[in-house]
Amino acid sequence: MVNKLKKYFALTRLGVLETLQWRIALCVMVLGNLLYLTLIFFLWKAIFASAGTDVVNGMTFEMTMVYLVLATSLYGVVELYLVWEIGRNIQSGKIVLDLLRPFKYKQYVFWENSGSLLVNFLFTFLPTFIVVRLMTKGTIPLGINLIYFLLAFVFSIIINYNIDFIVGTICLYTESIWGINIMKQMLVSLLSGATIPLAFFPDRVAAVVKYLPFRAIYDTPLTLLMEADPDWHTVVSKLGFSLFWVIAISLFSNLFWRLSIKQVTVNGG
Amino acid sequence: METINSNAAYRRKGPAFYLKIYLKIVAQDIKSKMSYRTDFFISTIGMITTNIAGFIAFLIMFGKFPSINGWEYYEILFLYGFSLISITPTQCLLDNNWSLRRYVYDGDFVKYCFRPINLWFYYVSEVFDVKGLGQLAFGTGTLVYAWIKLALPVSLILILKTVVALVTASLFMMALQNAAAASCFWIQNSFWLLDISLKMKDYAKYPVTIFNDVFKFIFTFIIPVAFMAYYPSLAILRPDNVPVLTYLSPFLGILAFYGSYKLWMKGAGKYDGSGS
Amino acid sequence: MESIIKLSNVSKEFKILNRHEGLAGSIRDLFSRDYKIVRAVDNISLDVAQGEIVGFLGPNGAGKSTTIKMMTGVLEPSNGELIINNRIPYKDRTKNSQEIGVVFGQRSQLWWALPLVESFKLLKDIYQISDKDYNDMLELYGSMIDLEPLLHKPVRQMSLGQRTLSDILAAFLHNPKVVFLDEPTIGLDVAMKSKIREMILGLNQKKNTTVILTTHDMGDVDALCHRIVIIDKGRMLYDNDIEHLKKFFGAYRTLKIRLREDTEEAAVKLTKELSDLDIAISNDDTWISILVNEEKTRVIKVLERIQETHSVRDMQLEEISTEDVIKKIYEGGTGFGK
Repeated sequence: MVNKLKKYFALTRLGVLETLQWRIALCVMVLGNLLYLTLIFFLWKAIFASAGTDVVNGMTFEMTMVYLVLATSLYGVVELYLVWEIGRNIQSGKIVLDLLRPFKYKQYVFWENSGSLLVNFLFTFLPTFIVVRLMTKGTIPLGINLIYFLLAFVFSIIINYNIDFIVGTICLYTESIWGINIMKQMLVSLLSGATIPLAFFPDRVAAVVKYLPFRAIYDTPLTLLMEADPDWHTVVSKLGFSLFWVIAISLFSNLFWRLSIKQVTVNGG
Repeated sequence: METINSNAAYRRKGPAFYLKIYLKIVAQDIKSKMSYRTDFFISTIGMITTNIAGFIAFLIMFGKFPSINGWEYYEILFLYGFSLISITPTQCLLDNNWSLRRYVYDGDFVKYCFRPINLWFYYVSEVFDVKGLGQLAFGTGTLVYAWIKLALPVSLILILKTVVALVTASLFMMALQNAAAASCFWIQNSFWLLDISLKMKDYAKYPVTIFNDVFKFIFTFIIPVAFMAYYPSLAILRPDNVPVLTYLSPFLGILAFYGSYKLWMKGAGKYDGSGS
Repeated sequence: MESIIKLSNVSKEFKILNRHEGLAGSIRDLFSRDYKIVRAVDNISLDVAQGEIVGFLGPNGAGKSTTIKMMTGVLEPSNGELIINNRIPYKDRTKNSQEIGVVFGQRSQLWWALPLVESFKLLKDIYQISDKDYNDMLELYGSMIDLEPLLHKPVRQMSLGQRTLSDILAAFLHNPKVVFLDEPTIGLDVAMKSKIREMILGLNQKKNTTVILTTHDMGDVDALCHRIVIIDKGRMLYDNDIEHLKKFFGAYRTLKIRLREDTEEAAVKLTKELSDLDIAISNDDTWISILVNEEKTRVIKVLERIQETHSVRDMQLEEISTEDVIKKIYEGGTGFGK
C-alpha cells in the first residue's frame, strides 16, 4: 500500500518540479490573475452602486468580492486543461504508450497533474486566502467551516477531474478537441458559479442549476467556507450532494472510458 | 537561363502579391478544414455555445439594472456586440498565434524561416479560423438589436463611423494578442499571457469609466483595453461629447498593431531554432 | 570555380541558463541570473563551389545544425563572415531564401492536410516560379520517379519515406542554387534510402545545384558526397574528399570473419581474449569486423590468435570502411585534425 502510494507521489514530485521550471510564466500568471481581479472588483462595484442598495440577492458587495476572488484563485487550482492533454495524447497516439505503463490511465493522468495542482494550491489559493482574510477581517470565519471546505474541495477536484476525463474521452470519437473543450469550459464556469455567484441567477435558472453536478466545483466549497457556523442540515445536504455526484460521475466516467477504449482497441484506432 | 531566374527572384513583393498568396492559402486551408467535417461542425457548435453562455452571463449580471455607472442597458449591450465583432479579425486571422509557443518550444518554428516571404505573414496565414465568422454574425445581431433599441439613426455617416471604430478596435485586439503570442520567444510558456489577453477582451466590453483614475490610466495607456470598444464607440454612442482619444484611436490602433508586429519579428529574429 | 558558400572564421555562442537540480534548485532557478556561454560553432572556415555535394558529419550536438542555420539566415554568427550567393544570409534572409531550399529533419514544411500538388502550387506562387520553369521541373521529377500518385495524396496520409521525398522535391522546386538537407534518410528503409539518394544525385547533376547534407548514415556519404566536412565540438576536424581520408588510414584494414558459433557471443569473447591487441571489434548479424592498424599489429597475427580458440568458417579482408574512418576520427587519438 505504502509502496503503491510512493509510486504515485513520485509522479507528484515530478509535476511540482516541472511546474516550477516555468520561471517567468509563474509570475505572469499571478500578475494576470491580479489584473483580472481588478476588473472584477470595479465591475461589481459599479453594479452594486447602480443597484442603490447594500445587499443584492442576499449578498453584500464585500461578500460578493470575497466569493469571486476565491472562486478565481480556485479556478486557477482546479482547471488543469486536461481535456487538451488527454485529447492530444489520443490524437498523437502517445496514449498507446501511456496505456502500457503500470498505472491505470485515469489515475496516471491525475497523479501526473497532481503536482501542479499542489503547487497551484500552495502558491495561488493559499496566499489569496490569507490576503483576503487579512483584508476583510470578518468575512471569512476560521473554524469548523475550514474542515467542511477542505472536504468539499476534495470532492470538487474529483468531480472536475472526472468531467475533464469524460470530455477527454469523447476525443476518442472526434478530432475536435477545441470545440469540445471550449463548450466544457464555458458550461462549467457559468453553471458552477465560478464567474457569477449562483445567488444572482434568476429563480427559474437557479432551480435547474441546483441539481447539476457543476455547483459542487465552486459554489459548494466556497459557500461552506464563508459561513461561520452552518446548521447541520445545510452541511449534510451540501456535502451529501457533492458526495453523491463524486460517486455517480466517477462510475460513469470509468464505464464510459472502458467502453470507449474497448471500441478503439477493437477498431485498431 | 541564369538571368531569367534571378530576375524572378528580385521581383518586388508588394501588397498585391501578399493578398494573392493569402487568398490562395486561405482557400486551401478552408478546403482542408472541410476534410475534417465533424471537427468543423463541433467547433462551430462550441463557438455558438460559448457565445450563448457569454450572453446569458451578461443578462444575469446586467438584466436587473436599468443602468450601470450612467450607461443604460442597451448601451452596454451595444458595447457587447461591438466587442464581439472587433474580436473577429483576431480570431479568424491570427489563430495560429495560439500554436506559436508550441512550435517554438518543440523547435518546429524553424520550418517557417526558409521562405522568401515575410515571416509573420507566412506564419499567421497558415490558419484561417472559419468559426470566428459565427462570432461575427452573433456580434452583428447584438449590435443591430442594440442600435434599434437605442433608436440610433441609420445614416451613411454613422455607419461609416461605426466601421472605422470597429477597424480601430480590431487593430488594438490584434496588437494585444500578437504581442502576447510573441512573448513566447522570450519566456517559455506564453500561454498565460495569451490567456490574459483573451480575458482582457472579455472586459473590453465595459465602459472604462467604472475604474478609478489609476486603472483608467493603466487600461488606457498600458494595456489598451479601453480602445477595444469604449473609446471608438463613444463616437457613435455619445456624439456630443467625444474625447480627443477617440479621434486619435484609429492612428493609435495602427501604431499599436505595427508595434506588436515589430515585437513579433524581433522575437523571431532572436529565435535560435534549438527549442528550449 | 566560383564559390557559392564562403565561411571565414565563423563562430556561434549561446547563452544557457545553469539549471540546478532538485526542488530547492528549481526554486533558485526562478531568480537565477547564472548563465554560461556555450560555443556551438568554433572558428569554422569553408569554401564551397557551385554544384558540389558536401557531407557534414559529426556526432550529435557537434554544431552541424547550428552551422546550417547560420547559412540559411536563421541564426546570426557571433563572429566571422558568412557569405552565401554573395549575400549575408542573416541580414537578407528573405532574398537568401529565394535561392536556397531546405529540408530540416523530419519537420515537413508542406501543408499538412493538402495534396502535394496544392503545396507545389502555393510554393510556385510564393517563389514566383514561371509557368514554364514549374512545368519543366515537374516533367524532370516525372522522369526520375513515379510522380503522379504522390502528387494527389494529402501529405498527412503519406508514409515517412514519401513525405521526405516530397519535402526534397519541394526544396528543389524553385531551382535554388543551394539545397540544405538535414538527415534526409533518417528512419527510412533501404529501398527508400537509395531512391532518395538517386533523386538527390540526379537533381544535383541536372541542375548543378549545390547540396549541403548532414547525415549519420555512411551510405549517404558513399553514395553522394565527393567531399566531407567533419565537425566535432564545434570545431572543424576535416575538410577534403573521402578518398583522402581513407588514404590517411591506409594502414588500417578491416578483417571480417564468420565463426562456427553464435556471432554475438563470439564477438564478446574475442573482445576479451584479444584485449592486449590494439584493435576494435564490432559485429552485425553474421560478420565480426575487426579493425586493425597494420603498422602496429599484423592481420595475420590477429587471425592466428583467433584460430587458437575458435574455428573460422569464412573470412574477408577489406580496406577501412567510411563508417570506421568516421568512428576513428570521433574517438580522437589518431593525431588527426592537428
